[in-house]
Amino acid sequence: MAVPVTVPERPARRVSPWHFVRLKLRVLGNNFRGQTWRVALFVLGLLFGLWFAAVGFFLLAAPGLAGESRYALMIAAFGGGVLTLGWLLLPLVFFGVDETLDPARFALLPLSRRTLVTGLLAAALVSVPALATAITAAGLVVTAGALGGWAAALAGALGVVLGLLVCLAGARAITSAFATMLRSRRVRDLAAVLLAVLAALLGPLQLLVLAAVRQTDWDRLDGVARVVGWTPFGAPWTAGVDVAEGRAGAAVVKLLIAVATLGVLLLWWSRSLESAMVGTASSGPARTPRGVAGGAVAQLFPRAVGWTRRDRFGALVARECRYWWRDARRRANLITVAVVGVFVPLMVNLGGPAFLSEGGAAFEQATADSSPALVSLTMIFVGALASVTLANQFGFDGSSYAANLVAGVPGRVELRARMAAFSIYVVPMLVVIAVALAVVLGRPEWLGVMGGALFAAYGCGLAINAFVSVLGAYSLPESSNPFAMNSGAGFTKGLLTLVSMVGSAVVAVPFVVAAALLGDVWLWLALPVGLAYGGGAALLGAYMAGDTLDHRQPELLAAVTPRR
Amino acid sequence: MTDQHPALSLRGLAKRFDTKVAVAGVDLAVPTGSFYGLLGPNGAGKTTTLSMAVGLLRPDAGEARVLGYDVWADPVRAKSLLGVMPDGVRLFDRLSGAELLAYHGLLRGMDPAVVDQRAAELLDVLALSDAGRTLVVDYSAGMKKKIGLACALLHGPRLLVLDEPFEAVDPVSAALIRDILHRYVGGGGTVIFSSHVMEVVERLCSHVAILAEGRIKQVGTLAEVRGDRSLEDVFVEVVGGRTATGEELSWLSR
Ligand SMILES: Nc1ncnc2c1ncn2[C@@H]1O[C@H](COP(=O)(O)OP(=O)(O)OP(=O)(O)O)[C@@H](O)[C@H]1O
Ligand SMILES: [Mg+2]
Repeated sequence: MAVPVTVPERPARRVSPWHFVRLKLRVLGNNFRGQTWRVALFVLGLLFGLWFAAVGFFLLAAPGLAGESRYALMIAAFGGGVLTLGWLLLPLVFFGVDETLDPARFALLPLSRRTLVTGLLAAALVSVPALATAITAAGLVVTAGALGGWAAALAGALGVVLGLLVCLAGARAITSAFATMLRSRRVRDLAAVLLAVLAALLGPLQLLVLAAVRQTDWDRLDGVARVVGWTPFGAPWTAGVDVAEGRAGAAVVKLLIAVATLGVLLLWWSRSLESAMVGTASSGPARTPRGVAGGAVAQLFPRAVGWTRRDRFGALVARECRYWWRDARRRANLITVAVVGVFVPLMVNLGGPAFLSEGGAAFEQATADSSPALVSLTMIFVGALASVTLANQFGFDGSSYAANLVAGVPGRVELRARMAAFSIYVVPMLVVIAVALAVVLGRPEWLGVMGGALFAAYGCGLAINAFVSVLGAYSLPESSNPFAMNSGAGFTKGLLTLVSMVGSAVVAVPFVVAAALLGDVWLWLALPVGLAYGGGAALLGAYMAGDTLDHRQPELLAAVTPRR
Repeated sequence: MTDQHPALSLRGLAKRFDTKVAVAGVDLAVPTGSFYGLLGPNGAGKTTTLSMAVGLLRPDAGEARVLGYDVWADPVRAKSLLGVMPDGVRLFDRLSGAELLAYHGLLRGMDPAVVDQRAAELLDVLALSDAGRTLVVDYSAGMKKKIGLACALLHGPRLLVLDEPFEAVDPVSAALIRDILHRYVGGGGTVIFSSHVMEVVERLCSHVAILAEGRIKQVGTLAEVRGDRSLEDVFVEVVGGRTATGEELSWLSR
């Protein structure tokens, strides 16, 4: 019997963005059901967000409240620009994007691309960061209104709404474009480099901000602000101030720039969205490993870990090594460590602002300013930062961790192997960073001090993160997007990162004190002492956290298993 | 000494998720050398029960023993005797089939040479060698089941716990798996598996337990449970099935 083919009728009701917003709220609500600690974390995150938002609001509203029109444009352009840049870079480098509504889940629904993109954009508005940004940017409306009356306030409000949408669309577009690239075999390595470059932009950005704070030459800054105001970064945010200062024409053009930017971003996003939706089946670089000939065991062990014994510990190390390379999410994390680890020490030790304002002469000055204690401090930061990548190491594995549980892997072996595998990638990187910094500073004799502090902090960090990863694990979505995060996980991640970084730094602080007090003896002692201290801490951490792990393996598995 | 004990014994296992009681006190003794089928409708609690039996999920109450060793008090001994294929759990799927087997083998403390030899054999028998170095993520659903089974078998466990081993597997592979499991039981091993497929259970099992709403409703040897009816009839009766009257879902036919 032939099934009668009917032309699909027009859906009885149109799907509007509002449906997506409601869906997101519902999913959020369901996530909270019966999970008191999740609610608590969310409320805490909300409070933090509101606090930051309030600070931002008053900063941006200050020119209006003080009736001081001179700085209005500058603050709008720089403040707005920082917001936009933050939205573009932070998801890539640290926070990821909230993927409560995973686009892949809509793949089978008869939705047009346009409906989907506007819907997802609307849903993205429902988040703490978006709320905080909106509140912050409202400060600009206040400024415009106070300086230029209702018309200016209206233009400002329009600009702020557009600006917020640009931020959201930009974050989505960039992360999904990178996700696509990291998945693709051909451009994967290019993507890694690009990501590094983008992350590196955070450095100059910070320099700019510092420079702006220190800079007394307001006229020059004003010129820069005017230019920024005409770029997509500043255009939507400065429209209100322009009207207030009597440049209505400019404001209109700027709003148009913002609309065009938004359009381009949405188009870009919808393109990569499609490939993300199709590519859900295989998440991650699906390269067929080129291989070593030989038996199964020989295939498992990458050349870098050829030295390990062919036993349980060796197998764990080998698998972890493979995973750091093959899993797009882990790779993105490694890249971040490398980039931030290089730039932050350079910036701090070269005294960024001075360098920027006065050029080469200040460079000499800055290298002279640096001291063993200061480099120790920055190295501690780098070591803590590197180890914090492991703060949710079991979350990377998700439910596959069950295999280790079934095999009854002792917690201590598990943690030691994970530390070893990660160190195979990170320790060479750290050494390069330390050497590079010593060379740039022209102080090769500080290498010992730097290495000592670095490895002390790294080892302490490994120990502390062993605990954090066992006790504070959370699940990551099984999405094809390595930047995807569950809603609210961004705050959890931030909190855990803060805890473990502060913890590692505190434990390693004796090295700064020693560098400051001990003088030249320390130049020779620091490295051996640091290696022993860090190594000892890591082993002790694995020993103690391993015990904890043995007692809560099933709970850990439940915590990292994504709820589908 | 382990031989006086049943291969797997569950006593009063219970688990509640929030308000939902998934398993409400399950007692089960799986004799050594038996081929045990665990039947039940969707949501009956099969996966939950088996997870608690092998140490993946901590029970609210009750105990599980593998050949006399308590899974929760003496996990090392118990787990070394166990081969498990869980359901709804990912494998370490960014490894190729051979790499995954090597990983599992070494985790179990096996000798590398033995791992190599057994892995090659298993891949051959399960027709997975053609996949070569393809990562397990890119396997088909049936292939994933097969490599999961291979991982569970690799170290020669005394008890195999399989959650829905025949799901998504083609008839040829299913026959192959049946043969393998038969040989395994013939060689003194014990198998307990969950399934929805009555024919498979009828053909393979020596013992059957029917689980519904978190409780064992019917248990015994296949002959005891089945009587002179078909297993399907017994199952539907025990579980309390329903049939479509023809009135509802009328919009499905145009
Ligand atoms: N992590 C969980 N959180 C909340 N409820 C759960 C969880 N896991 C299982 N359940 C509930 O427990 C009950 C039993 O689930 P289980 O997976 O054990 O069933 P099953 O017999 O394996 O079903 P199927 O044949 O469909 O695989 C179901 O009602 C399910 O909704
Ligand atoms: Mg099940």
